[in-house]
Amino acid sequence: MSSAQTDPDAAPPLLVFRDVVKEYRNEGERVRALDGVSLDVPAGRFLAVVGRSGCGKSTLLHLAGALDFPSSGAVLLENESTHKLSETGLTKLRREKVGFVFQSFQLLHTLTVVENVEVPLLLAGEINARPRAMERLTLVGLADLAQRRPHQLSGGQMQRVAIARALVHGPRLLLADEPTGNLDTATGNSILALLRAICSERGVTILMATHSAEAAAIADAIVRMRDGRILEGTQ
Amino acid sequence: MSGLVLFYRLILRPLFRQPGRALLILFAIALGDAAVVAIALAGNAAAGSFHSSIETLAGKNDFEVTAAGGVPQDLVARLSKLPYPLQVSPRIEDRAMVADTRQSVPLIGIDMIGAANTANLPVLGASEVSDAIRHINDPDAIWVTRGLAQAIGDRLPLLIEDHTRTYTVRGILPDSTQVSGDAVVMDIGAAQIATGKQGRVDRILIRTPAEGGFAAWESRLREVLPAGVMLNAQGAETAANRRMLAAFRWNLRILSYIALIVGAFLIYSALSVSVVRRRPEIGTIRALGTSRNAVLLAFLAEAAAFGMLGSLLALPLGRALATGAVRMLSTTVNALYVSSRPGPLSLTAGSVVLALVVGVAVSCLSALAPAREASLVPPTEAMARGRRDYEVRVERKRDALAALGLALCGAVAAQAPEIGGKPILGYLSALLFVASAALLTPLVVHFAMEAGSGSLRRLAGMEGLLASRSLGGSLRRTSVLVAALATAVAMMTSVGIMVGSFRETVLTWMQTELPADLYLRPASWAGGDQHPTISPQIADRIARVPGVAAVRRMRAYDIQYQGLPATLAAVQANPPTVPENLRFLSTAQDADPMRQLPSGNFAVVSEPFANKHHVKTGMSLALPLGVQKVTFRVLGVFYDYGDEAGLILVDWNILQRYLPNPAPSNLAVYLAPGANLAETRVAIQKAIGNNNVLAFSNREIRRQGMRVFDQTFAITWALEAISILVAVGGIAGSLVSIIIDRRREFGVLRFLGATGAQIRRLILFEAGLIGLLASAVGLGLGVVLSLVLVFVINKQSFGWTIQFHWPVAVLAWSMGIVYVATILAGLYPARLAVRMNPIEVIHEE
Amino acid sequence: MRNRPPGTRRSLSAWIFACLLLAAAVASAQEYQQALPGYQFQFPRDDFNHENYQTEWWYYTGNLRAPDGHRFGFELTFFRQGVSRAPGSDPWYVHDVWMAHLALSDIGAGRFHHQERLNRAGPGLAGVDAATGTIWNGNWQATITPRQEDLRGIGRNFAFSLKLLPAKPPVIQGQNGVSQKAAGLGHASHYYSRTRLLTSGSIEVAGRSYQVEGTSWMDHEFFTGSMAPNESGWDWLSVQFDDGAELMLYRMRRKDGSIDPYSSGSYVDAQGRSRFLSARDFVMTPAGDTWTSPATKAAYPLRWHVSVPLLHLAFEVTTPLRAQEMTGRFGPSYWEGAIDIAGTHDGSPTHGVGYLEMTGYAEPGRAVVPR
Repeated sequence: MSSAQTDPDAAPPLLVFRDVVKEYRNEGERVRALDGVSLDVPAGRFLAVVGRSGCGKSTLLHLAGALDFPSSGAVLLENESTHKLSETGLTKLRREKVGFVFQSFQLLHTLTVVENVEVPLLLAGEINARPRAMERLTLVGLADLAQRRPHQLSGGQMQRVAIARALVHGPRLLLADEPTGNLDTATGNSILALLRAICSERGVTILMATHSAEAAAIADAIVRMRDGRILEGTQ
Repeated sequence: MSGLVLFYRLILRPLFRQPGRALLILFAIALGDAAVVAIALAGNAAAGSFHSSIETLAGKNDFEVTAAGGVPQDLVARLSKLPYPLQVSPRIEDRAMVADTRQSVPLIGIDMIGAANTANLPVLGASEVSDAIRHINDPDAIWVTRGLAQAIGDRLPLLIEDHTRTYTVRGILPDSTQVSGDAVVMDIGAAQIATGKQGRVDRILIRTPAEGGFAAWESRLREVLPAGVMLNAQGAETAANRRMLAAFRWNLRILSYIALIVGAFLIYSALSVSVVRRRPEIGTIRALGTSRNAVLLAFLAEAAAFGMLGSLLALPLGRALATGAVRMLSTTVNALYVSSRPGPLSLTAGSVVLALVVGVAVSCLSALAPAREASLVPPTEAMARGRRDYEVRVERKRDALAALGLALCGAVAAQAPEIGGKPILGYLSALLFVASAALLTPLVVHFAMEAGSGSLRRLAGMEGLLASRSLGGSLRRTSVLVAALATAVAMMTSVGIMVGSFRETVLTWMQTELPADLYLRPASWAGGDQHPTISPQIADRIARVPGVAAVRRMRAYDIQYQGLPATLAAVQANPPTVPENLRFLSTAQDADPMRQLPSGNFAVVSEPFANKHHVKTGMSLALPLGVQKVTFRVLGVFYDYGDEAGLILVDWNILQRYLPNPAPSNLAVYLAPGANLAETRVAIQKAIGNNNVLAFSNREIRRQGMRVFDQTFAITWALEAISILVAVGGIAGSLVSIIIDRRREFGVLRFLGATGAQIRRLILFEAGLIGLLASAVGLGLGVVLSLVLVFVINKQSFGWTIQFHWPVAVLAWSMGIVYVATILAGLYPARLAVRMNPIEVIHEE
Repeated sequence: MRNRPPGTRRSLSAWIFACLLLAAAVASAQEYQQALPGYQFQFPRDDFNHENYQTEWWYYTGNLRAPDGHRFGFELTFFRQGVSRAPGSDPWYVHDVWMAHLALSDIGAGRFHHQERLNRAGPGLAGVDAATGTIWNGNWQATITPRQEDLRGIGRNFAFSLKLLPAKPPVIQGQNGVSQKAAGLGHASHYYSRTRLLTSGSIEVAGRSYQVEGTSWMDHEFFTGSMAPNESGWDWLSVQFDDGAELMLYRMRRKDGSIDPYSSGSYVDAQGRSRFLSARDFVMTPAGDTWTSPATKAAYPLRWHVSVPLLHLAFEVTTPLRAQEMTGRFGPSYWEGAIDIAGTHDGSPTHGVGYLEMTGYAEPGRAVVPR
């Protein structure tokens, strides 16, 4: 049983995976994406999940983001099991506690930069979203480009916007799936630095999936995965 | 081989993966094409049949002799004594109504004895002739088609003119009688008695020897005919009716093409979307060395295949639609033009070709631009990961200028006169305006979304913002959708305004036109071209009924003027106490043409007549009356909406000089002041006695008129409905493909905390916005088109002045329906989007 | 047996119209006057219509020749059959049915053209107008004036226009103003002939126009009644001898094959004196040369031997054109055509031309006018 226990004095874990198994049906075949994963993610930590593609990193992130339920076992976010929640409850959970960053940015091309950042607030029904969105843009250093459209930005800028969007509603947990996968090394590094700073300065817990050891190096701890299992703990 | 691979990878594989897209394209083609096929078929069936009912037992002849009010019968003898080997066949042509079923059938009177000599009349063999001679002097003997009697000896009550009489079936006409539908045949003598046409025949058919040539025979025959008598090739009357119907059918056909144009927009939209979606495949294939032309051809071939398949679907669909349309059409044809019965609906080789040509052509044309774009995809595209989104490449200035140019051309075309009686340039003008609006649509959508996204966001939060932005963001695609629906809406609006204005105009006109208290006509009347008569003594009897102040007689004749049918009517002067009922567009300086009418050879003509024949006040008309050609001076042009062929009014007594026939076809009865309408009506009925004359009060006739009017335009509405159906169906389909296309966006939104309900609202909102924008553009375009319809197309093809009028209720209703329909069209796509798994769609690549 | 049948050839029409009479009885014979002895002919009155008699006809036949020797025969006949005597001024009311036959034997070209026509009087489609002397059916017409008769016939593919000048006064056939058809009062007709009409005019046929001359024969007969039921047909001929005399003979054939004693004839000498011939006075027998009609399959004898011992006259009848059968839609088919005569008279050779009519050989066709 592998685990990623950190020192017990630290804050209680924000996110807990307990014997999580996740199976999919793919064209009639049963695929086991997660095979008995247990993991505690302490609040305020930066955790990297490393492994080859198909090892179950993304599934881990999706379960963490309350987008999906485990087939067995439990996922607890701030001691609340996602399993017990309704569809609306899950959405509420995402709205309040989780932010997502994707490999291919996933900005909405029809909206301006600042509007993209506003989206989670607007979806949550907040009317006065603009100041907070601008604040987050300032945080990622793109306040000047607020009125641009995503296609007018560089890849790095787009990912910064995505990060601003992921943080706009003040989530405790930021899930990043290969955030540097589409970026060159220098840009990638600046994004990683930004994430690192967000974790350190704002106390946001980050769970980042990556296949790059270089990227993983910036994290507080590294979880290695293969074939749906966690191989070893932190260093 | 490589062509096959290309076709498979580019066309077939995507098709199997996205059968919905194929179905959408097929739907658009099939429905649009079906509308065209349906109208072509129904038009043939409804308008094509009247020919044969007139030509019952006519055989094949070279010439026909006709005259207004009938041909004097001594001309029959004069012609048959000419020293040429001619066949001369006089005929009475009228209509009878089967009293039990109220079916109106042609009544043909032929010379049963002389018919024996006409070698080209196979129907009358020696035995028929001998049968005929046996009953030759029996005025009650009739010969009928199989549909009207079971057996020889059957008794058949017929309503002819204003009297019902029981006739005896003396023979059943064989099926080869060249009649489509039923007919009653009598000996010419009996027919004259039955129709009150003693002394005259309606038509004399002449067959000349083959040698000699048409012109030579024409001049030989012309020599012996009096000036007022018309000599034409056989079927000239039919041909004139056909010409008149041609304009009507032409307008109808144009209307049916609207559904197709709307369909074309949707094919274009569906194909554009599918081309964009296949960019990576195109890139790969191009990288593998396929030429641009091959890609272009592959997409065109795909479109052609869709066109072919869609057209084949259109045939049964069109035939089914035609069944409904033919009923509406024949009502119109009967009410407005000539008595006819719809013929059988038949899918001919011609209709198959029409469907195929139209379907394939439209889909290839609509595919041309997307296919061209596909061929321009650079091979490197395949390498670029992350599909490029729709380019927002709206060249606003250029488009605005082009739209302005088109609209200007449209305005100019609207000023041009008709060509060959058809408002071709009027339709061109309408088409130009449609094109202009289509070009303007992206601009309108862009600016509306630009201007409105803020307020939409305030109004509808995230959904409003996203909907407006995605509409404005993928302009190329959404504007096509909006344009398609807007075109349909514009057509509906414009036709709605036109029909509404027309209706209002007719209503107003009827109020002034019908000042009398009661109107009488024979019960056998069954169509616009029929003028059955009332026995003359009835009018005298009614005039003596207590409470009746005056009886005004009118007699109508169908005549031909310059090769076109027209109605010549003689009216008695209004009683001096009654104000003049006609409203004049133009009169001679000295005001009152109706008071001047009885003082000589004067006429007033209706507006459609004046327009058709370019007649103005003060000009002279040479009217063929019986054997003479008589000149009448036009004192004025009056508004009339009752007779499309055109109406010439002369004084009753003046016409009696030339066509002495005291039987009126209509009577107007004025009550004495203080007389009770209901009581007087009963007394008038008593005076009518056993004759079948119907009396209508002023109000009843107005209601009847409006009913005919509404029936007439039923087909128009049906076509509009098809256009809207095509558009809305297309929108549903397009939304589905848009949703499939934007599924990652919905996935992202779900990641970012959107609920299913929010996604649904977003899509419905978008659909609603399309509906709203289309309604706005459509309304604007519709108003412009309605001006073209009312003041150009209508005026040129029918010659009516219509007072412009806003049918607010109709417009509000139709806008509401369109709006609701588009929202409904969003329901299925919305469901589809909600059911997508966000994880799957995000990770598809 | 002094009584004679009515003009036999004319019985042809009688036969046709008999059908009409037997039919649904459009009109009954009682409404009409019968042909009774003592009738006084008066001209020109009797040239025209006798509507009180149910059946009436005017019958022209003739032999003509163009200067180049091209030879023709012609027939133009107007029949009237009374249908109703009811009063009525409506012109379409059918009082009489008018039928006409028109035939041209283009002997030079070996062709026979014929046509029939049926009409009612109508508003002037057919009839007789004494004022203008016209008897017409459509554009076929005869105009009779005391000194001249004009004929016009326009067929689908031929036409003729002829001027006829009577060389002799009319011959009243029969005795005492009637030509008796059977025993019993009223079974007779009023019948006269113009036996020699000098004819000239023009004929158009086959795209050519011919100026022609020759002689014609005219019969006019009116009566009420029909032929005897035991008779099956007749053979009739008229001859115009080169010496200026004329002969008319007929024999009535009975269904049992015998010849009816009512068969008779007349001889008119060059001076115009006529002499009645009874059945006992002549012999008229077929002499072989049968022609079978392709249309009706009827077999007609085209060669005849005729002798009138009383007049020392014997001759052979031959025809220059075999196919001269009139096939009718409205009546029975019969053979009527131009003939040549060669024989002896008073020991000297004699020649002539004439017309031969043979009826009852073909199956009765469908009758026009009701059965």
